[in-house]
Amino acid sequence: MYGLESLIIQFLMTFFTREEINFFLRDPQNTAIIIGCLIAISGALLGTFLLLRGMSLTSDAISHTVLLGIVVAFMIMTSVFGQEPNTSSPWLIIGAALAGVTTVVLTELIYKSGLVKQDAALGLAFPLLFAISIILVSRFVEDVHMDEDAVMIGEIGIAWANTNSHCFENCTTVTIERDDELADITRQCFNCRDLGISPRDEGAEFSEICTNCGTYSPGQAWQAGLVDEEPLLVFWPESITVTALMTLLTIGFVTLFYKELKLASFDESLAKALGMRPSVMHYALMILVSLVAVGAFDAVGSILVIAFFIIPPAAAYLLTDRLSLMLIYSAIIGSAGAFFGYGLARGEFLGIFNIDDGLAFLNRVFDLGLLERWDSSISASMVLMIFFFFLLSWILSPKYGLVSTIIRRANQRRRFNDQVVLGHIYNHQSTDREAIELTTDDLYQHFRWSQSKMKLVLGRLRASNSIHVVNNIIQLTPRGEAHVKLFRQENLATESTVN
Amino acid sequence: MSRLSAEDRRVWIVIAVITVLGALFIPFSQIVLGVNYTYTVRTVATGGAILGLVTGVLGCFAVLRQESLMGDALSHAALPGVGIAFLIAGRDLSVLLIGAGISSWIGVQFIRLVLNTTRIKQDTAMGITLAAWFAAGIALLAYIQGRADASQAGLNTFIFGQAAAIVESDVWLISVISLISCGVLMLFWKEFKLVTFDPEFAGANGFRIGLINVILSTLIVVAIVLGLQLAGVILMVGMLIAPGISARQWTQKLNQMVILSGVFGAFAGSLGAVLSAVDADVPTGPMIIVAAFTIALISIGFAPQRGLLWKLIRRQSDQRRFAAQTTLRDLYKYANSHGEASYPIPNSLILGIGGSTASLGLKKLLQRGDVKQKNDKWILTIQGIQVATEDAYNQQLWDVYRVYGDELGVPLIMEDRQKPIEDVLPDDAIIRLKQKLNEGLT
Repeated sequence: MYGLESLIIQFLMTFFTREEINFFLRDPQNTAIIIGCLIAISGALLGTFLLLRGMSLTSDAISHTVLLGIVVAFMIMTSVFGQEPNTSSPWLIIGAALAGVTTVVLTELIYKSGLVKQDAALGLAFPLLFAISIILVSRFVEDVHMDEDAVMIGEIGIAWANTNSHCFENCTTVTIERDDELADITRQCFNCRDLGISPRDEGAEFSEICTNCGTYSPGQAWQAGLVDEEPLLVFWPESITVTALMTLLTIGFVTLFYKELKLASFDESLAKALGMRPSVMHYALMILVSLVAVGAFDAVGSILVIAFFIIPPAAAYLLTDRLSLMLIYSAIIGSAGAFFGYGLARGEFLGIFNIDDGLAFLNRVFDLGLLERWDSSISASMVLMIFFFFLLSWILSPKYGLVSTIIRRANQRRRFNDQVVLGHIYNHQSTDREAIELTTDDLYQHFRWSQSKMKLVLGRLRASNSIHVVNNIIQLTPRGEAHVKLFRQENLATESTVN
Repeated sequence: MSRLSAEDRRVWIVIAVITVLGALFIPFSQIVLGVNYTYTVRTVATGGAILGLVTGVLGCFAVLRQESLMGDALSHAALPGVGIAFLIAGRDLSVLLIGAGISSWIGVQFIRLVLNTTRIKQDTAMGITLAAWFAAGIALLAYIQGRADASQAGLNTFIFGQAAAIVESDVWLISVISLISCGVLMLFWKEFKLVTFDPEFAGANGFRIGLINVILSTLIVVAIVLGLQLAGVILMVGMLIAPGISARQWTQKLNQMVILSGVFGAFAGSLGAVLSAVDADVPTGPMIIVAAFTIALISIGFAPQRGLLWKLIRRQSDQRRFAAQTTLRDLYKYANSHGEASYPIPNSLILGIGGSTASLGLKKLLQRGDVKQKNDKWILTIQGIQVATEDAYNQQLWDVYRVYGDELGVPLIMEDRQKPIEDVLPDDAIIRLKQKLNEGLT
């Protein structure tokens, strides 16, 4: 992980100076947005395939279990190896990913037993695993990075502070040993506490302890004043490395196996028949979802992460019918949500509206005594922005949007009304019932429509020059007649093909 | 006194066992866990039991309608309502619950709207609502935490549940709402039953399905909102459905299932509440879920007839019966081909034909007394010959049925050669089949 970071930094150093990089990353906003976008991109790409396979809620399942994997791996590493791992430790990631995949397999087994329906199996298994992890977290884990709040919302806002330092010039690693002249040796009573005596009492035994021995990295050495020249350091947030790795992995997987994934998602039988092993793709997808969920755990917690999997693909699904475009759209929607989400957490809604003003307005009107400064969770705000973009595409999508659907349905209704009326006239004109069936005043009764509706339809037909009125009797114009004939022909054609 | 059927008796036994366990738990917890039944713990346990009861009862319908995950979405969707209600009216439980109810009700309507106007499927629509509403709730709570007054501390209990937050007035409120919910449930019992199991039939008979559905889903929302205090938004779904799933394993009747589910829910609710009152570190929700899931696990594993253990036993006995029948047929056939039914068949021959099935079958036949062993050879006993003859005749009748069934005007049934044909077909049909068989033989 550390080596990878150095590589990335060296690559970046060819474009930017060290100061620029440090300055950029020291801003919490930049780091949070970069991490948010990386999670959004990997979540959106994988979520697209989950959505198409009807497995959206599997990401919910996996994100819940991954927590159990993280907690258990964390406890094992703390108690057995005696070291507290951070959440980007590869062992933790592997363990958690395994836990995620195991759950998917387990749920499949539960509902295959036939005793419990699929939805109930999900509803039973995930709360349980989550409950166990919460009990473990609240009872046995005492660590700043592992409490219930971190589980809920993550720590994307302070990700910038958790950095690895990389040194590029004046790098001196200092090691202090016991016999060094710099070593600070103190005498300490090691059995006083057990015996309950003071160091002056008899029986107290002492050992000599070095308080500052150990190896100092260049950064630490400079801070401790052990070196004279300031090393040139780059402080790199380690969350970025983990999420970037996951994103690269996801992009690589999707581009390499695009064809296989596509086929396995749309036509599993054909994929099987062509020898593509869709079940391998299925489990590969599950593993990747678990990995991304672990990678995102630090930043956005274990529940909000499902939003990054589910909402952007759903929004893209309403915008396009092409898989490749859907992948690109959902990645863009997710990243846009992450980008504007940071502002929302600080009260800026897309830069056009300030929530603080809204709160002040509410206070003025209802006298609620609200705090007039909106400062909220960054990860939750990112999800809300993504949801906002979903609403936008739901309402405005040219093909499947709410507005276009309403317009399309109204058009269909209008066309249908026109055709019914034209057909009625065609059937009755120049027959002896003409005078009864086709008078302008009574026509609405034959359809059991309201008078105003008939007036509207007739007005439209007259405007399109399909009918004209002779002696209060409605007649088709040649144009209207042509229209009816064409319509009947089309209908006959479909009827004959159906039969 | 009317006689109880085996199944009815079983349900009552389970209820009695749970009650005894619950009663035994009090001294157990006092002595072993050192729980001191103070006023607070008593209040918390009562509240837990009532909440468990009402969520268990109403959860049955969520399970049967296959809307378990809807419960998940609904409980997550309650969170922003809690936040907004707190901002408007402060920390008053009834107001918070109303806020939660409204917010999760809006969530349901949003899911319906998305389903009706787009091509998005139900699971995705639920996922969107769940995540978005939950994020809104988290954002609001984070904003509230920025306020100076410390009274927001109680709101976090809605995320994981905290039994200690329940006070006596809350218990009264919960009891009244639970009573009303159960009253509504009894009033609409027939309608709910019909809509749950056969909505088309209900619609055809003039029941207003839409209205009944709204009432039922409102009741489920009420149960969820009530339970939030105890289980929290994330784990509420487990508390809602685990008792129902457990109860489903024990019985086939809706009324028994609902009662049993209520008992399971009450047990899990009070148990979890008491256990978490022991240690303030542990939120209540997870403890309740673990208790409820343990009951579900026991039910799925060991409930008579449906349980996995019973399925396993039944499969093995079926396997043995099948092996015995096949082996008996083989023995009979080979003995007859040597002229007499009691002709001794060498062990190696019969094992060579039937393999492991034969050795299993011989064991079973020996146990039934259909065969006896003599010097490594198997001989059919008189009883065995009789069984084999009857079986052969039965198979012949089945053959006739298959070939001439239509011709003889015998009613069409599912062919199950394991059963005696006399049991499945009416007597006059059997007579006709036997006549046909005799004609063929002469």
